[in-house]
Amino acid sequence: MRNRLIVHATLIAYAVLALFPIALILTNSVKTREAIFDDPLALPTMESLTFIGFEKVLASTNFLLYFGNSLVVTLSALLCIVLFGAMAAWALSEYRFMGNRVLTLLLALGIMIPIRLGTVSILELMVKLDLVNTLTALVLVYTAQGLPLAVMILSEFMRQVPSELKDAARCDGVGEVRIFFQVVLPLIRPAIATVAVFTMIPAWNDLWFPLILAPSDRTKTVTLGVQQFIGQYVTDWNSVLAALSLAVIPMLILYAIFSRQLIRGLTAGAVK
Amino acid sequence: MASVSLKELRKSYDGKTDVLAGIDLDIADGEFVVLVGPSGCGKSTLLRMLCGLESISGGSMEIGGQVVNHLSPAERGIAMVFQSYALYPHMNVYQNMAFGLKVAGKDKAAIRQRIAEAAATLKIEHLLERLPRELSGGQRQRVAIGRAIVREPRLFLFDEPLSNLDAALRVQTRLEIAKLHRQLDATIVYVTHDQVEAMTLGDKIVVMHEGHIQQAGTPLDLYQQPRNLFVAGFIGSPKMNLLAGTLAEAHANGVVVRLSSGESVRAAVDGSGMRIGSKVTLGLRAEHIHESRAGSEVFSGEVGVVEHLGEANYIYVSREDGEDVVIRGDGERHVEIGQSIVFSADSTAFHVFDEGGQARRRLRPGNMVSSARSFMRSV
Amino acid sequence: MKHEVNTVRPWQLLLFLAPAVAIYSLFSAMPLLQTLGQGFFSADDSGKAAFVGLENFRTILLDPDWSAGFWNAMLNNAKFFALHMLLQNPIGLLLATLFSLKGLRGARTYRTLIFLPTLLSVVIIGFIWQLILSPLWGVGEKLMGFAGVADFFAPWMGQEETALTAMSMISVWQYVGMPMMLIYAALLAVPDEIVEAAHVEGASAMRIFWQIKLPLIYPTLGLVTILTFVANFNAFDLIYSIKGALAGPNYSTDILGTLFYRTFFGYQAQVGNAYLGSAVATLMFLVILAGVGVYFIGVQRRLTRFAL
Repeated sequence: MRNRLIVHATLIAYAVLALFPIALILTNSVKTREAIFDDPLALPTMESLTFIGFEKVLASTNFLLYFGNSLVVTLSALLCIVLFGAMAAWALSEYRFMGNRVLTLLLALGIMIPIRLGTVSILELMVKLDLVNTLTALVLVYTAQGLPLAVMILSEFMRQVPSELKDAARCDGVGEVRIFFQVVLPLIRPAIATVAVFTMIPAWNDLWFPLILAPSDRTKTVTLGVQQFIGQYVTDWNSVLAALSLAVIPMLILYAIFSRQLIRGLTAGAVK
Repeated sequence: MASVSLKELRKSYDGKTDVLAGIDLDIADGEFVVLVGPSGCGKSTLLRMLCGLESISGGSMEIGGQVVNHLSPAERGIAMVFQSYALYPHMNVYQNMAFGLKVAGKDKAAIRQRIAEAAATLKIEHLLERLPRELSGGQRQRVAIGRAIVREPRLFLFDEPLSNLDAALRVQTRLEIAKLHRQLDATIVYVTHDQVEAMTLGDKIVVMHEGHIQQAGTPLDLYQQPRNLFVAGFIGSPKMNLLAGTLAEAHANGVVVRLSSGESVRAAVDGSGMRIGSKVTLGLRAEHIHESRAGSEVFSGEVGVVEHLGEANYIYVSREDGEDVVIRGDGERHVEIGQSIVFSADSTAFHVFDEGGQARRRLRPGNMVSSARSFMRSV
Repeated sequence: MKHEVNTVRPWQLLLFLAPAVAIYSLFSAMPLLQTLGQGFFSADDSGKAAFVGLENFRTILLDPDWSAGFWNAMLNNAKFFALHMLLQNPIGLLLATLFSLKGLRGARTYRTLIFLPTLLSVVIIGFIWQLILSPLWGVGEKLMGFAGVADFFAPWMGQEETALTAMSMISVWQYVGMPMMLIYAALLAVPDEIVEAAHVEGASAMRIFWQIKLPLIYPTLGLVTILTFVANFNAFDLIYSIKGALAGPNYSTDILGTLFYRTFFGYQAQVGNAYLGSAVATLMFLVILAGVGVYFIGVQRRLTRFAL
């Protein structure tokens, strides 16, 4: 069918457009400087293959430390968001109490209003709490940032848990806290994938808060580290390309492994 | 309106297994044909193939004498009423009904007139401005039918239209669809899994199972002379009693079956060519059993469960060394659980199915005297 | 389903709510409120905070030293948003429509591949494109040469007239994935039978798209619009990482986010001013609130989700 051909052609063309910049960086990151400039579109050959950029990046920065920082921050924030968010979502969706609607509205607003606007005060608060240049500060901020959306998504999923299950447990004399942890929480596992997608990616890729709250070398995240490195070594093409590649490759690997769950999580949450 | 002719129609999704195999069916102009069968039998697939939503893997399909295998749904002159009604949620009733006509390029005046007529027929004139979500299930269903009517198609297709309605509404709507059929003199193909719907609505019923047509005929044909065990068990409520046995005698004017529980039963079916000693199944409908010795073949047993319906009761009898039997009895006569009961049936009431499950021809199928009438006679 | 009488005891309720409410209030809600309040203060001669009413706002909006910068950033941000609405969302819609075609082979692969840029850090993407568009490397020029339009190549990133557009293009390129996925999910939710019914009534694919599918996903289109609005008026990372806080050349890529950063923290010669920074944040908040308000009140009410 001719129509289908046009569709495929369009999609392939756009896929190329979406991928080639990244591919370009990756292929050129292992070429010598001359090869990069002489023929940027070519793949590296035996002569032009070199890892000098990578060596430089790993030698002059604590790249692995930055990577570890990003990992710690993102995973800790995810844990807090899922746990605290689920607890709050449970309370809001299951029980009637004064202030339920107000709280829900406040959280809904929190989804739309960006947390960055309050940075001035957040920084002052961190200074007061002596949390500047700590990973804890980042975890707290990203948790606060991700909670509203997480609560919304999780309460939607929780509403769909059949009441019979909860009531049956209550008839058996099971306490509310146990019902939450042992009945409801295991049933909303798919939602956790959705929440993970919507909170981990912005946290990992964020530049603003690491820049403002934790810019010390000890606490740098990958995003900040790469940004500063590149700013510093702007003319050293090998190093710049290597740094970019190092930042991108972990994401590519994770994406290749988890893409199905990720996209499923996205579309499931998006409909809600 | 038009006739439909299906010749050796086949459907296969992967080229290997056939979902529908060798369907041959003729539908006359103005006939109401019901496709009935359990889930997965292929009836919905066949309907969708008629509609043009599924491709045809083999064979030919003609509507009004025209081969339509490769035509799109609209080109075939077909209108379909979906199971979930499929009304456009963002359009009101009028717009829903007008959509197909607009696509066909009809002018506003013609559209308005057709919708007015259809709305009057279906009594939905007062709903024209409403959105689907403001309508009840029954109302939505009528709008869906209205949407089909206005297009004045050659063929109406209904895909289990009553399954989403509650029981009372189902009966009412069934009547309305029957009336509509006569009013429009329409050729209708109707899919359902409910055999009561099939029996009450269809001029011709097509019983399907695992992609094949088991039997096609009038309701009475299927009731009186089911061609095999499947059709026998499918048509008629409660399900026909089936008793296992072996053939003791076989003649053209009757057979004798020795049941595994010991009784010898005479059955008025054509037994020519049957092998003595072969396994057979005896069929007997609950409503053809007398709660007395009035019939020629007598049985006994113990009453297990009694279901009271008012106009009748269903007595489930357990028999020593034999299968349980359900009897349709007089609703106003008291039956005690655990009591011994003697029941009987005429030899003309029995169905006989051979080893392969195929039915033998019954000699006097229409000669049934139901137990109620015989009771009246004995008073 | 909520019970008439609560089965939960008050202390348990508190336990469930406390951590989330505490963290959210402490680190998100209260700082925001505090910032909004701080905009009404300024440092007096001794360095202490003194209430100055609307002085800061007057400075930013009207004072010649500051207002030019503010309105420039505002205008740039609006242009930024307009370009996203013109390109990012229609392209996302187109891709989502193509993905939802029945029986499209490899749809999942296409989706996975095309969504990749959205996942990566905006910083990384920015640098990658900066390299590609850099006249030094020449890749951009070479690629345009393939299409025969090499003569049209220019160092867009470095030119005042084109820098903002170039940045917008990069952002659009990266974030197409967002409307693409959201609209795709919404298109999936349109029941098959409705599309089939339209098909049976003779509607062509185009007509089905415009008259059946599109109206049924209006709520999602509204959501995509407001999300784009909020993201664009909150944007910072891309401009900062490519152009730094000065958002050159000559402030042509300055948007509210970079203006905020500069005002608050200072940059090079300019000294940071927490109070003025708070005022800028307050103004940003008002802009975003206005957009969100329009969305909730105007758009949501009219385009109610049809009971599918």
